[in-house]
Amino acid sequence: MPLSEALRLALDAIWSSKLRSFFTLLGIIVSVAFLVVVVALIQGMNAYVRENLTGAVIGINAFQVRRTPISVGLLSDDEVRAIAKRPLISADDAAAVAAALPGARAVALQSGWPTPVSDVSYRDRLVGDVPIFGVTPPYQIVQDYRFAAGDGLADPDVRERRYVTVLGYEVASKLFDDPGAAVGKHVRIAGREVTVKGVVAAKGRVLGQSFDGFALVPFSTFESMYGRRKTTVVSVKMADAAEVAPAMDRAEEAMRVAHRLRPGEPDDFTVDKADALVAFWRDLTRVLFTAIPAVVCIGIVVGGIVIMNIMLMSVNERTREIGLRKSLGARRSDIRRQFLIESVVLAFLGGVIGVAGGWAFAGLMSVVTPLPARITAWSVGVALALGAGTGIVFGVYPASRAARLDPITALRAE
Amino acid sequence: MSDGIIRIRDLARRYVMGQETVQALRGVSLEIRRNEYVAIMGPSGSGKSTMMNVLGCLDTPTSGEYWLNGHEVSRLSDDALARVRNKEIGFVFQTFNLLPRASALSNVELPLVYAGMRTRERRERAAAALERVGLANRMDHRPNELSGGQRQRVAIARALVNQPSILLADEPTGNLDSVTSEEIMRTFAELHGQGQTVVMVTHEPDIAAHAARVVVLRDGRVESDRSTERAAA
Ligand SMILES: Nc1ncnc2c1ncn2[C@@H]1O[C@H](COP(=O)(O)OP(=O)(O)OP(=O)(O)O)[C@@H](O)[C@H]1O
Ligand SMILES: [Mg+2]
Repeated sequence: MPLSEALRLALDAIWSSKLRSFFTLLGIIVSVAFLVVVVALIQGMNAYVRENLTGAVIGINAFQVRRTPISVGLLSDDEVRAIAKRPLISADDAAAVAAALPGARAVALQSGWPTPVSDVSYRDRLVGDVPIFGVTPPYQIVQDYRFAAGDGLADPDVRERRYVTVLGYEVASKLFDDPGAAVGKHVRIAGREVTVKGVVAAKGRVLGQSFDGFALVPFSTFESMYGRRKTTVVSVKMADAAEVAPAMDRAEEAMRVAHRLRPGEPDDFTVDKADALVAFWRDLTRVLFTAIPAVVCIGIVVGGIVIMNIMLMSVNERTREIGLRKSLGARRSDIRRQFLIESVVLAFLGGVIGVAGGWAFAGLMSVVTPLPARITAWSVGVALALGAGTGIVFGVYPASRAARLDPITALRAE
Repeated sequence: MSDGIIRIRDLARRYVMGQETVQALRGVSLEIRRNEYVAIMGPSGSGKSTMMNVLGCLDTPTSGEYWLNGHEVSRLSDDALARVRNKEIGFVFQTFNLLPRASALSNVELPLVYAGMRTRERRERAAAALERVGLANRMDHRPNELSGGQRQRVAIARALVNQPSILLADEPTGNLDSVTSEEIMRTFAELHGQGQTVVMVTHEPDIAAHAARVVVLRDGRVESDRSTERAAA
């Protein structure tokens, strides 16, 4: 029997018991959809983390000298105690790092965690819980800020402890209908009158989190508003990615000299780049990527067993048909092929429905939740291959059972 | 002897059911020549269907020889047997045995599908076979849209479509009323008239009267084997 004929027969058989076919396939559909959705989400997150998050948090081609490491994952009590003993990062440290890195694009100081939040108001308008950062002007370079209106902070603002601010786009547009109108206006931050110098162009949202809801004030002004922070951070931006690693080494050296550490003494600071964040994410996805196949495998095996059962049932129900076909000249291989193709088509359909469902679900997720999703060709390929493969593996036994039937016995079956 | 299509010698078929064994055939010898019309008669349980199934290569004898067109069937492989069933034998069952979800045309096409024929040719051949049994205007009907007699005609067309050496029919009118039976018998007579070799099991003497030769089985043996008046005619 030609393949096209066998295919037609298989579709016909599947279609004639649509509902049963569908329920037969639930296991496969769900497993495959799960695979597609999870892979899509991980891939989406990966891309986001790579492209947006690290850049947004630390700056592109940038690293930081910090008192505490960028904390991702849990630190032991000992580590926490050791970190608590470290000296604060000072403006002198920033100067030492800057001196050691003449090629750096920017070396900035910024107030660290915990970032205070404050209401920012203009006349009768108010934006609540705006994070306030105290920074030196190079911070704006580290962050690649562009200005939608006005200018950034400048050295005299820090030196003279001026009450001026640069607003994130979101804050500015909530306070003033036209963010451009903000420049020169006096807003209130933490109960003080502060003059708006500029508005940073919108950076957009990452993982549903806005990066435009902040206010920058000069580092010195920040310290008189909120006091000295224990977690001041030095940010360094290099011209390109290749310079980052050697620059980190030199910064570490400069910091050890500035802190008068003896050889062999551990660093009492941390030089960190977004790698830590990326690495943490990579570890997380590695765990997911080992867990997913296990879950999918279980689903597929269960789905496959269901298919096998249904196919056995179908062989049973169609014993007379098999006998008839044999009496008309069907060979064993014809019958085997007919049932094998039926189970493969069935399982493959499950794969297709699963992929479509997973695709739709992933799309829905990225629309209604902040989670990004990115469908990858390989996950679709794997899903479809899994479906068809399941059909083959679990279809062999029922198909050969059907093929072995004796014509007259099968014809007599009731 | 060259025109002996079927030759069986000392054919026996035993069914073992637990402790019991049933001797359905106890040594049947028979020869059927080209263009014969043979009726098989005998009381219920005498082994008629068993013999037909063996002749149709649907069942294998316990012992004895079966030669079909000069080949000893019992020595054939499974695939070769399938080929014989496909090419040499047309089998008409009492219960029609049509695929319920397929049209009359598709049902008739089935043997050609297994013969590996291309779709276009298959359609033409199947349509011609249906025309031959007078069902040219019912090709797209499903079995449940046909009368009993029409269903049996579809089955006959299916049996004929691959131009078998021999047409075997096991009580083809057993499920039909007498008027329809008469029509079906006319069809068989016509086919025989066109040169088709026919072997048919029947209980009805007046149906057997259509045949040129009547073989009577009893207890798994040939009781009598004679030509009727009609044979001479
Ligand atoms: N599959 C089987 N298993 C066991 N015994 C069987 C089987 N098929 C037939 N027999 C027995 O073999 C004997 C012959 O049966 P067969 O069907 O050939 O009779 P028959 O002449 O066709 O009868 P009928 O006229 O009723 O159709 C019977 O005794 C029957 O019980
Ligand atoms: Mg019988």
